[in-house]
Amino acid sequence: MSIRILLLFAALLAGTPAFAQQQPSGTPPLADELAIQALLQGNTVHGRVTIPDQRAANLIQPQGREWREFHNVTLAWVGGIAVVGMLVLLTAFYLIRGRIPIQGGRSGRTILRFDLFERTNHWMVASCFIVLALSGLNLTFGRHVLLPLIGPSAFTTVTEIGKYAHNFLAFPFTLGLLFMLLLWAKDNIPNGNDIRWLKAGGGLVGHGEPPSGRFNAGQKGIFWITVLGGALVAASGYMLIFPFFFTDIQGMQLSHMLHSIPAVLLIAVMLAHIYIGTIGMDGAVEAMTTGQVDLNWAKQHHNLWVEQELAKGRGATPPVRAKPTGGD
Amino acid sequence: MLIKRSEARAGKQRLAAAYAGLSSGGLDRRAFLKQAGVTGVGLSALGAIPLTTVRPAAAGPVNHAEPVTRIKNVCTHCSVGCTVTAEVQHGVWVGQEPSWDSPINRGTHCAKGASVRELVHGDRRLKYPMKLVGGQWQRMSWDQAMEEIGDKLMAVRQASGPDSVFLLGSAKYTNEASYLFRKFAAFWGTNNVDHQARICHSTTVAGVANTWGYGAMTNSYNDIRNAKTMIIMGGNPAEAHPVSLQHVLSGKEINRANMIVIDPRFTRTAAHATEYVRLRPGTDIPVIWGILWHIFQNGWEDKEFIRQRVYGMDEVRAEVAKWPPAEVERVSGVPGAQLRKVAELFATQKPSTLIWCMGATQKTVGTANVRAYSILLLATGNVGAAGTGANIFRGHTNVQGATDLGLDVTSLPLYYGLADGAWKHWARVWDVSYESMVARFDSKAMMETPGIPTTRYFDAVTLPKDQVEQRDNFKAMFVMGHGGNTVTRMPDAVKGLEKLDLLVVCDPHPTTFSVLSGRKDNTYLLPICTNFETDGSRTASNRSLQWGYKIVDPIFESKTDYEAMYRLCGALDRAAEKRNMPIRFQAEMFRNIEVKGQEPSPESILREINRGGWSTGYCGQSPERLKLHMQHQDKFDLVTLRAKADAPAEIANDFYGLPWPCWGTPEFRHPGTHILYNTNLAVKDGGGTFRARFGVERNGVSLLADGSYSKDSALTDGYPEFTIAVLKRLGWFEELTADELANIRRYFGENIDSVSWSTDLSGGIQRVAIAHGCIPFGNGKARANAWNLPDPIPVHREPIYTPRTDLIAQYPTLPDRRGFRLPHLGQSVQNRAKELAPNFPIILTSGRLVEYEGGGEETRSNRWLAELQQEMFVEINPADAASRNISDGQWVLVAGPEMPRDKWTKVKALVTERVGPGVAFMPFHFAGWFMQEDQRSKYPQGTDPIVLGESVNTVTTYGYDPVTFMQETKVTLCQIRAA
Amino acid sequence: MARMKFLLDSDRCIECNACVTACKNENEVPWGINRRRVVTLNDGKPGERSVSMACMHCTDAPCQAVCPVSCFYTTADAVVLHDKDLCIGCGYCFYACPFGAPQYPRIGNFGTRGKMDKCTFCAGGPQEDNSEAEFIQYGSNRLAQGKLPLCAEMCSTKALLAGDGEVIAQIYRERVVKRGYGSGAWGWRTAYRETVTI
Repeated sequence: MSIRILLLFAALLAGTPAFAQQQPSGTPPLADELAIQALLQGNTVHGRVTIPDQRAANLIQPQGREWREFHNVTLAWVGGIAVVGMLVLLTAFYLIRGRIPIQGGRSGRTILRFDLFERTNHWMVASCFIVLALSGLNLTFGRHVLLPLIGPSAFTTVTEIGKYAHNFLAFPFTLGLLFMLLLWAKDNIPNGNDIRWLKAGGGLVGHGEPPSGRFNAGQKGIFWITVLGGALVAASGYMLIFPFFFTDIQGMQLSHMLHSIPAVLLIAVMLAHIYIGTIGMDGAVEAMTTGQVDLNWAKQHHNLWVEQELAKGRGATPPVRAKPTGGD
Repeated sequence: MLIKRSEARAGKQRLAAAYAGLSSGGLDRRAFLKQAGVTGVGLSALGAIPLTTVRPAAAGPVNHAEPVTRIKNVCTHCSVGCTVTAEVQHGVWVGQEPSWDSPINRGTHCAKGASVRELVHGDRRLKYPMKLVGGQWQRMSWDQAMEEIGDKLMAVRQASGPDSVFLLGSAKYTNEASYLFRKFAAFWGTNNVDHQARICHSTTVAGVANTWGYGAMTNSYNDIRNAKTMIIMGGNPAEAHPVSLQHVLSGKEINRANMIVIDPRFTRTAAHATEYVRLRPGTDIPVIWGILWHIFQNGWEDKEFIRQRVYGMDEVRAEVAKWPPAEVERVSGVPGAQLRKVAELFATQKPSTLIWCMGATQKTVGTANVRAYSILLLATGNVGAAGTGANIFRGHTNVQGATDLGLDVTSLPLYYGLADGAWKHWARVWDVSYESMVARFDSKAMMETPGIPTTRYFDAVTLPKDQVEQRDNFKAMFVMGHGGNTVTRMPDAVKGLEKLDLLVVCDPHPTTFSVLSGRKDNTYLLPICTNFETDGSRTASNRSLQWGYKIVDPIFESKTDYEAMYRLCGALDRAAEKRNMPIRFQAEMFRNIEVKGQEPSPESILREINRGGWSTGYCGQSPERLKLHMQHQDKFDLVTLRAKADAPAEIANDFYGLPWPCWGTPEFRHPGTHILYNTNLAVKDGGGTFRARFGVERNGVSLLADGSYSKDSALTDGYPEFTIAVLKRLGWFEELTADELANIRRYFGENIDSVSWSTDLSGGIQRVAIAHGCIPFGNGKARANAWNLPDPIPVHREPIYTPRTDLIAQYPTLPDRRGFRLPHLGQSVQNRAKELAPNFPIILTSGRLVEYEGGGEETRSNRWLAELQQEMFVEINPADAASRNISDGQWVLVAGPEMPRDKWTKVKALVTERVGPGVAFMPFHFAGWFMQEDQRSKYPQGTDPIVLGESVNTVTTYGYDPVTFMQETKVTLCQIRAA
Repeated sequence: MARMKFLLDSDRCIECNACVTACKNENEVPWGINRRRVVTLNDGKPGERSVSMACMHCTDAPCQAVCPVSCFYTTADAVVLHDKDLCIGCGYCFYACPFGAPQYPRIGNFGTRGKMDKCTFCAGGPQEDNSEAEFIQYGSNRLAQGKLPLCAEMCSTKALLAGDGEVIAQIYRERVVKRGYGSGAWGWRTAYRETVTI
């Protein structure tokens, strides 16, 4: 790249003074930045500096403008639509569909759905994600939303804490994602049931939920979005945490784009996940609190899995002696 | 949109203190000082130092509530002579402001000038006297150091004679310190006293003075604004003299001038040229003769100028005829058509000036190069008028002054030479008897024999005694303000340094001398303050003198050059007394110099210079006049340097800085000479003619000017230098006043006919000559033929180490000879080099970086500068790099043919087309690594420069100009390989 | 009020770095922070040009636009400054800046940036004019003393001009007319969306 630019320069600047001298004064200036930028077609104007910081050798990087456009317009719209849109959607859904009840009510018998390690890991990832999401959203929207409310000084304090939290929590978040992948990947491999499940709209719309294993197609979708999207967000995030360690200015800008857009989409998806795991569905939240879900809930949503578990002899536990842990 | 300091922000709590000391990669000074003040970090050993020397933490930014003192001094780096304006509060240099009033720099600076404040605050300065004891640095007091040094010097004197001490002075001295050091050498009894001019423009001084009288820049930086064509050959002023480019580029713009750069390297200067000529290093004479070939061929020479004012041009024609375009191209690589264009521009679009620097001078043919350049100027009539001339850019702040004042192995102050007439003149000025001076030397013969120059000091230590033409080898070396990496053949220098009985280094920094060798004892470091911590005058390249005022008191325990020399004299007195030696120093040396406490006053030293400086016109620049010029800088014209119409009476008509020659006594009020040899002005207004320095006739041909004379001259033809006899013959003798005559008779008795313009201490002869419009030194012709030089007409001689071994037979270097008390084996080495050349296929040349200067100790210790050049490098052409698998920025090894076998220097590669194929360039400011040994730990703790690196002079080789022993730094051979 | 601008005449710039050290000197800028720098284009070849670059104090400054904490402000002289007490060192201004002006001291964990630092046009910061607090955080405030940035005042060849945009454009214009060539006011189109027409 740089060689091509230098050649362009050579063509453009060679003999400029001598050449221009022979022209009548008033000749439009040659080799000004516009002409050079046009030739560069968006690349940077790059030269030589003696200081070790080679970023300084970039004289002009017009891409900053595009990044600014992305940050201030594209990201704001995409993020805004994704997050707010999802909230609107979920509210509407709730109003229309209401809370999905357990068919046949609670049986009083529970079955272990997630063991302690799974739950701990989930909450670690979840809590990290919430902080990362909020601090991330704050970086993009805070100056318009929070700043007018609490004033510049408090806002800086909050944002700075957010920045540090964002940087630090990136590591447990990534680790948790890795655990999730190891723990749940095998149960999230798509199979034929998922097609049926999806065709039937997952029982969320209409009636009659198709059979599914430990995770239904919707959950598998969440899982893969979380793991793969999270990986992308994490990878690009590390580029941002270690600025210019791996890449140059254009790489940094690209990293930011590849970080922020997946991140806001992930936030939107997670909002749906949170909704369905809490107020959206009766009996769901226990899976990640006590780990014990009602047998009826399990049969309703994960009948194949229940059959499997029962066949393995991990029977349902009566509520009286229900152990809070899945230590077996 | 927010506007500054809105109400909402004012009351908010600030975090300022939290990052007061915040920085990356090291403390900034404020943090350093804070720590130094609070905890004494890094300075814990400084208990004895008064508080003011360690800047207190409170000395932060300018306190705008309190008054600020503004003090003017002169930049300590190159020779442009930029005024530095300091803001001082409570004895602390708190800020630097543009010096708008200076007609030289007009507010501006380069990287070095804009950062000089850091030199004075520098925490890496040498803080107190130290000595090596068993290889460890130990702190000591000044008194103790002086007693020990004095005693050891006397021991050397007793055993080996005065010539066994090498006195190395500095181009960073003020004029007064330069003079004092030269005077000290005379009183010590040796001519072994030298300074940086040896390795920068000694060949210029020799070549130019032998051409037309004085060896200095004929015009000025400012006058370049008048040029219509300029050739910059062998110089890179954009990096070496950046502020001069203000004048060069202005001239280029105002006059639409041709700016021709002739250089092996496409420099930052070449980037602004209208024509760039790349030549093979070491072929300057073929190129100049190639230009002259076209000039003579087309009749573009200035025939009338040559007829009136030049001697011996026909012999030049004969030599030039041997250089038709084909031969020039064969030898230098420069195409004939390009040289024809250059020749036509230079000869026909006049006025034309020729600017040169080290590329011309640091050669085995340095003097001949400079002579050829001068001849080109003479042939085209480009000397002695505005916009013309030999604009020789000198390198250090006062290298011109130090040269003038005789820090030189061949002369007493102001070019009087070493003959007994010169000694007698200075004995009269010093108010001592000539006989007492003779008694200080080993013999009258040694007194009149040029000493050993700095380029060969180590040879004088290590060569067998019988090859050194003095009583004994060098046994001791006393260095003031001089780097240890500035001279070629450093591996040999190490051997010399190790063999010395005594090494004393006086400098603001420890310098390379302190770490280069394996010395374990008898090595002393004395902290000297910078020029910003002392008063004194300095002579810029254009011969203008500027008075610099002390900005702050010397920091730490450093002392001024004056005081160090005075103390040394005292210590020597005591040592002599102890040893029952009759010699004494202080009383006689400082007889007419005012001493306050232990510190001689620079004003009184300058007055003594004035009393003896007739030969060069250093007689009119009294401290009072110089101070007036500094005070009224804004009253001088930018282009003519002349005081403007609204100037106060006491500077009216003066040229800025009274550029020498400034004739007569200060009361005579000569304005100084802006442009040398300028016949368009009357002598009393700064005009002049070529100096009649070489006799009146040779082989029946007159050497006096023919029909050319300066304006208003009573004599309208050539005339010899003025003596009493000449005055008598002209009938002007009676015009001498009674006082003047009495003065002359007091010194010379009744037989005064031979008293001349340069020995008359009354100034009467000069006054009378000038009253008749005549210049005291006579009106002679410039010499195209300088018959006293080894090559009276310059001829091309291949460098000692040349890749064109095929040309050696036709253009060999001069036969082996002796000079400066030493053997000079150029041809023997060249013959051997021929065999080595195939193993070292790349030409190595060296030069400056804008951020650093000289040996680089002080600039590499300046964090603002050091940050900008953090690594030693070698510039290598992409073609050479590709064939060696070298990529930009990687480590490479460089070796020269004289380095020990299998030893390499390790530097970073800078792959660039600045250098042509087969040529490499290395900057010369680095030291502290020696053939891959990192010597950082050998510096006294806390004084190591921030940036260290290999020295180019580890790689450079044998090769000396026959006239001055200038070293060859610009053309040698090397091999480069990936590390 | 004047609209302050920098103008670099690359036909004069010789890469002497006076602007760089003058900046360090005036503002006590620590090692590793380069408020101003000189970049040489086309190094070693005919047409080589050096350009001294720092914050250009853009019209509609991108840094200001993207700052998540709104720490930037524009003075009445159109100098773009920022409040270090508000800056969180996120680095966004560096991504947006066309000229690579923002600098960050490396502090703390990983490569975390400290408070951003950049050229202030020698106009200090939001603290009281020429107070010690202002100097420590932002450096000198020459504008308040009636002076211009030291980098331009000390430029060895007067290639770097600073001051009222109209005035320096006129100086440059006259220069170009006089000498007959000029390769334009570097960075003006990008920073000010205009150029000096001759």
